[in-house]
Amino acid sequence: MEFQVPTINILLIAPAAIVAGWGVLLMLIELFISDEAQEQWRQIVPGLALVGLALAFIQTVGLWGYDGGTFILADGHPMIVVDNFATFLNIIFLLTGALTIFISVDFLRRTGLERPEFYMLMLFSISGMMLMGMANDLILVFLALELLSIPLYIMSGLAWPRTDSEESAMKYFLLGAFSSGFLVYGIALTYGATGTTQLPGVMAGIANGGSLALAGAALLLVGFAFKVAAVPFHMWTPDVYQGAPTAVTAFMSVGAKVGGFAAMLRILIIALPGLGDVWAPALAVLSALTLIVGNVVALVQPNIKRMLAYSSIAHAGYILIAVASAPASPDGVSAALFYMFAYLFSNMGAFAVVIAIERKTNEGVMLDDYKGLAKRHLGLALAMAFFMLSLTGVPPTGGFSGKFFVFKAAIEANLIWLTIVGVITSAISGYYYLRVVYTMFMQDGDGEVAAPEALKWTVGFAVLVTAVLGFIPGPWFDIARQAALQGMQMVAGG
Amino acid sequence: MIEQIIFIVISLFTLMMGWIVVSNNNLFHAALALMASFLGVAGLYVMLDAGFLAMAQLLVYIGAISILIIFAIMLTRRMMQTEESPFNSQPGLAGITAVSVFAVIAFIFWQMREFWPLGAGEGAMPPADKSIILGSVAKLGEYFVSPDAFVLPFEVASVMLLAALIGSIWVAWPKTEDES
Repeated sequence: MEFQVPTINILLIAPAAIVAGWGVLLMLIELFISDEAQEQWRQIVPGLALVGLALAFIQTVGLWGYDGGTFILADGHPMIVVDNFATFLNIIFLLTGALTIFISVDFLRRTGLERPEFYMLMLFSISGMMLMGMANDLILVFLALELLSIPLYIMSGLAWPRTDSEESAMKYFLLGAFSSGFLVYGIALTYGATGTTQLPGVMAGIANGGSLALAGAALLLVGFAFKVAAVPFHMWTPDVYQGAPTAVTAFMSVGAKVGGFAAMLRILIIALPGLGDVWAPALAVLSALTLIVGNVVALVQPNIKRMLAYSSIAHAGYILIAVASAPASPDGVSAALFYMFAYLFSNMGAFAVVIAIERKTNEGVMLDDYKGLAKRHLGLALAMAFFMLSLTGVPPTGGFSGKFFVFKAAIEANLIWLTIVGVITSAISGYYYLRVVYTMFMQDGDGEVAAPEALKWTVGFAVLVTAVLGFIPGPWFDIARQAALQGMQMVAGG
Repeated sequence: MIEQIIFIVISLFTLMMGWIVVSNNNLFHAALALMASFLGVAGLYVMLDAGFLAMAQLLVYIGAISILIIFAIMLTRRMMQTEESPFNSQPGLAGITAVSVFAVIAFIFWQMREFWPLGAGEGAMPPADKSIILGSVAKLGEYFVSPDAFVLPFEVASVMLLAALIGSIWVAWPKTEDES
């Protein structure tokens, strides 16, 4: 056999490879750590994990503006696509990981959950998320989704033998496996309809796929709707978010959701634009349901983690508005990307404050525990209020800018009714978000607050970014637009 | 024609065993039926010219996974003894859902009958590369490690399995005192 030059550009896959490889490396090093040195090892593992994320971050940022692929298949299509869309999402994933490490170090130590494997599993999960955004082949999408999910199942059971944590892991695992089944069935039907799993190939063949292709696309959507927790596939979310250790909840409420949307957007825009007439209205209905159920059920939650779980369902609804308007509006994808970026900081910040209030695992997570927070720790209370305003969508916050762009895209796409649903549910959401603010500032209560330096810096950083996104959203939206455009160009270019 | 009949017989066998798996009160019997069901699936693979897949099915599912399940049942005393009904309170609802999903899928495949067998109709649906399907193991192995084929999914799968392995050990390992 003739020797061929490999069709791999290792620099393009590097961001995900560094993260996964770093996890393996840390695990190998741990083998050689003696029992006496275990304590020091535990101290430095979070830092080492951060170093890995930072290396990957440098490589990712360096790829901004690149448009190409690697692992070129025999038929000329790449297995991995590196464009601004992927790079933008990779930045979100790496930031999510870094912020999670900052807020979880002290929390895990204090609740006796600290295990070095936590950080390594998290690195694996992040590499899966990154592959979700870069994958150009349905097989790879599926494997990336599993790589994203499996560590999360384990991490949500971190606090075993506490029953709520076990329940969380079990429910997440069973329903996650179920949704993977839908996804695989969808992939199989799509393959049956088009004869390929390559996204560009699927796009070319989908028009002749008939109802088989429609069924495949529908099942793919169901699989992703599970992952992003869209109604009516949201049943697992409240229990899982409530039972999992809060640091894990924070990580998955952003990471897993954005990961699901990453693959969903790429598949819908690159592989299934031909079915846009079908999936856009379906997603619009899904989005309206998600908005209504998420926001209305959140009204009556006394547990702040459960409330944030329903809030995260609702936010999936807002992102879905943008996705549903993507075929008809040039800014649909960029609005979704911007929204996810803003959501990352508001939500991570809110969870950081929840972690500061939580004394032991799942103690101090009721709304009553926030009474009088303004007197106990004014800085955190103000930050929390700011995050709540951002999640509600009050200017000048990142959340407002995100909703503004989403609604603008929806109006451009002539989805007026959906915009109205979005605006009304935003107003409803004000009730439960602002109730937290009211509780913090107007009622009296006591209790300790655990706010180490790392957590304070994280909260400060999240406030800063949320404010910047609120005051000067324009340049940031332009970046999101550059990230989205390339995704759309691929459609035009075939 | 005779192939069709064998295929249908094997399919019915697989389905029947699957039904026993979910409806049997005795967990041990259910596990045995699961093995038989796996065997039926392996038979279907043989019928579909996927010889390697059939062997893998035999080795992995029947040889390893089923045995593991049976061991797990036998080592868990209470599971061996209880004879609870395997149904929860909503068998009717689940039945309706299952039947309607089946109806939809059957309808779709019926609609696509002009393409039977897949790849025969005009338009899209080229049959995939026959050399892969026809179970040339060497070809399969080559595809798994070729940079212009499936080396990346292969590697991602290995990282995924590593994560699953570590996770299962982590979950099963007894906790030390300071952590409980």
